[in-house]
Amino acid sequence: MATEHVGELLSGYLDGELTQQQRQRVTLHCSGCEQCRDDLAELRALRERISGAPLSELGEDQWRENMNDTTVQLSRGIGWLLFIAGLLVAGFYALYHLMIDSSMSFIEKFIIFGVYGGLAVLLFSVLRQRLIERKTDKYKDVEI
Amino acid sequence: MKTQDMREQLAQMGNGAHALATQILGNSEEAADAVQEAIAKVLGRPGSYDPKKGSLAPWFMRLVRNHCIDLLRRRRAEPLEADALPATGPGPEASAEAAQRDEAIRSALAALSPDRREIIVLRDYMDLSYAEIASVLDLAPGTVMSRLHRARMDLKETLTRYE
Repeated sequence: MATEHVGELLSGYLDGELTQQQRQRVTLHCSGCEQCRDDLAELRALRERISGAPLSELGEDQWRENMNDTTVQLSRGIGWLLFIAGLLVAGFYALYHLMIDSSMSFIEKFIIFGVYGGLAVLLFSVLRQRLIERKTDKYKDVEI
Repeated sequence: MKTQDMREQLAQMGNGAHALATQILGNSEEAADAVQEAIAKVLGRPGSYDPKKGSLAPWFMRLVRNHCIDLLRRRRAEPLEADALPATGPGPEASAEAAQRDEAIRSALAALSPDRREIIVLRDYMDLSYAEIASVLDLAPGTVMSRLHRARMDLKETLTRYE
């Protein structure tokens, strides 16, 4: 008759995480201890119930679809980044040539700079506004 | 690791990660968002995972767990209630008895402390090894068995109140 229960070793036994010596100890103990045998059976049943319980309602396919969305968002973000970087480089390049161009008067340069500079500021302002609205719009996903 | 392989593994781990996040955050929708954000982080920087340091599952679960803890700190989430767990009722073909048993398990899990819920989900739902669980929960490998056993005994006792 076993006197000292094996306690947490039951969980290790159930999960196959014991050394050979510990396994033998549990096996030997359980052969003479009804309480530990019952505990082991109950823990095994509990583990099976949890492994089959619907703890998440989402399926693998849904995660695959979500990942595709993430990839699209990432590539779109990279695309925008490259586009803005290219636009900035082109803008500075044009500005540099405008400044060193000796065939134009200061007034002509100022007018050209004002028109294109103003357009760039307006474009930036509209884009910024759109971005803010997109982040804060609660109804953006609502389809009409 | 190839990105395509990583994506496939992440898709397979999605449900387990969602179950873990739900146990931490107490809300299925919030948990789905958290897992999605964690996946986006991994896919954004796939090189951040080093296969030499172990398999993807514990590394990803640790990432999800840390992200959920950050969210909890930021949002000061409400304590977990049974109603907050996913309402994943069985299909029409499932029996009412099975539905009651599932509900009992969810309610009993929700009644446990967060650290007990986590360790049970990691082992019994996700089938991670003790070494992997120790890595996810940042525990000494020797403490996993005792902590898991206490959690299971607690769950066993709690479950009797719901059945």
